Amino acid sequence: MEYPVMIVDDDPSVCSAVVRFMEYAKIPVVAVESGKACLEELKKGFKGLILMDVIMPEMDGWDTIKEMVNRGFPEGVIVCMLTGKEVPDAKMDELKEYVMDYIRKPFDYAKLVKIVREYLSYLD
Amino acid sequence: MKPKKIVVIGSSAGGPRILKQIFMDLPRLNGSILIVQHMPKFVNESFANNLNTFSDLTVKVAEDTEQLKPGYVYLAPSEVHMTLKNNERIFLTEGEKVNFVCPAVDVMFKSLRHEPGLNIIGIILTGMGRDGAEGISYLKKIGGTTIAQDKESSIIYGMPKEAQDTGCVDYVLNPQEIHDVLIDLLGVIET
Repeated sequence: MEYPVMIVDDDPSVCSAVVRFMEYAKIPVVAVESGKACLEELKKGFKGLILMDVIMPEMDGWDTIKEMVNRGFPEGVIVCMLTGKEVPDAKMDELKEYVMDYIRKPFDYAKLVKIVREYLSYLD
Repeated sequence: MKPKKIVVIGSSAGGPRILKQIFMDLPRLNGSILIVQHMPKFVNESFANNLNTFSDLTVKVAEDTEQLKPGYVYLAPSEVHMTLKNNERIFLTEGEKVNFVCPAVDVMFKSLRHEPGLNIIGIILTGMGRDGAEGISYLKKIGGTTIAQDKESSIIYGMPKEAQDTGCVDYVLNPQEIHDVLIDLLGVIET
């Protein structure tokens, strides 16, 4: 089974870039604009790799992961941060067991697809 | 027979990519390697299987009461602390999180003991927070060789910096240099 990627980012240009890259690479992808929408996708049974922005209005990336943990961190879901924030803030410290990687923007096609494929392979 | 060389590695966010670079094409080294990589439990087996494909070492998820063997890499399973007894046998125990994590790097590092003739090498790789910093100080105190990943190659320069700030790190290296040092310090098992 080919597992999908979920990009969670309030910036539509980031979402569309990731969607385009994944489509080129023939990796199924879904884009959502908020932590809340991400939780909704998980509720519907999403399994795969989440690329999570850090700074988002209302519920930031860390709060979203915290809520995932509170609900029982889902099996079959890998989270990598995808952010412009050079240095992660202290909120990450208590969530580091749930975050496999920290990818910085801007990202290029080859690098992002390579990382995505690597983490998707852990789900096989 | 007890191993003569033990390498303990602590790693967190971004670690899988870095570990892959370090392990890529390593020969069968004459020592035992233990890794604490913070990650969700369901990833344990697939991560070990994946890492197993990059070198001549045998990478496996550690089992309780397992005896260390040279040429083997033992990955700490999630949600238990991994310790060594008498520098030769792995124990997996449930316990409180330390530094917000279980397994914790500090818990594993601090379970090693000074032993004449035993070469201990502690390595701290990329990651957030300060897990491993106390462990590195401890290893230095019992005569171990200590290494931290350099800033340039660290995906998150948190754990390696905290380790360096203890003043107990012997070498600051990038993944390729760590790869080379492992070969130099452990040597290769001749077949």
